[in-house]
Amino acid sequence: MVSVGAGITVMSVNVSTSDGGGLSADQITDLAMDKILNVASTAPEPIRDQAIAFQENIRVVLKEYIDLAGREERATIVQKIREAGQQDLADFIRRI
Amino acid sequence: MAITQAMCTSFKTELLTGTHNFTNSSGNTFKLALFAIGGGGKSSTTATLGASTTAFTTTGEVASSGSYTTGGGALTNVTPTSSGTTAFTDFTDLSFTTATITARGALIYNSSASNKAVAALDFGGDKASTSGTFTIQFPTANASSAIIRIA
Repeated sequence: MVSVGAGITVMSVNVSTSDGGGLSADQITDLAMDKILNVASTAPEPIRDQAIAFQENIRVVLKEYIDLAGREERATIVQKIREAGQQDLADFIRRI
Repeated sequence: MAITQAMCTSFKTELLTGTHNFTNSSGNTFKLALFAIGGGGKSSTTATLGASTTAFTTTGEVASSGSYTTGGGALTNVTPTSSGTTAFTDFTDLSFTTATITARGALIYNSSASNKAVAALDFGGDKASTSGTFTIQFPTANASSAIIRIA
């Protein structure tokens, strides 16, 4: 008899939620980090330490640019609303 | 009444009969629907999902809210590939915005094939958004982590 062994697996998902608005920059950073770099708990200690330090550096840079992207998008929206003559609404969004 | 993380048994059979096509763009349309237990679903129904689930039903599904509409959101397929001896497929992350939702799990199903079930997902506890965003992030698409893998 010939048999072929195989396993089919479904993995777990991450769920991120927010209240009263969208996800925060920190949450988005965490989502991105999960995709960019995974440090195995079984990795040798010197390699693991180096990978974790690298991970933290990436996290800081990523968070900074996610914040910047949010601010710049708001700036564009504010300008478009201002051009449409809605100064009060533009000021409200600018202060978010 | 519970939600148990599992690859649906009927899906395994349907793989052998060529029912599902996960190819991006030209493949089938897969959806992800959110479910509650303990009467948290619409009409106070509660979900039972697991290996024995064969197709999407609305029992226990959360109500429409924000960008979530009953039946769930369409997933974007990532064309299956392989690494070493493991084949795997993935979906892009899915978000529902301005939504008030409490969900305990989800069902991935094939809306191009009579809503046949693919996999039941257990969130491990209630996940809630209030007038906010509800995001489902799929694991990294590789041979050891991808959402659906055949080793």
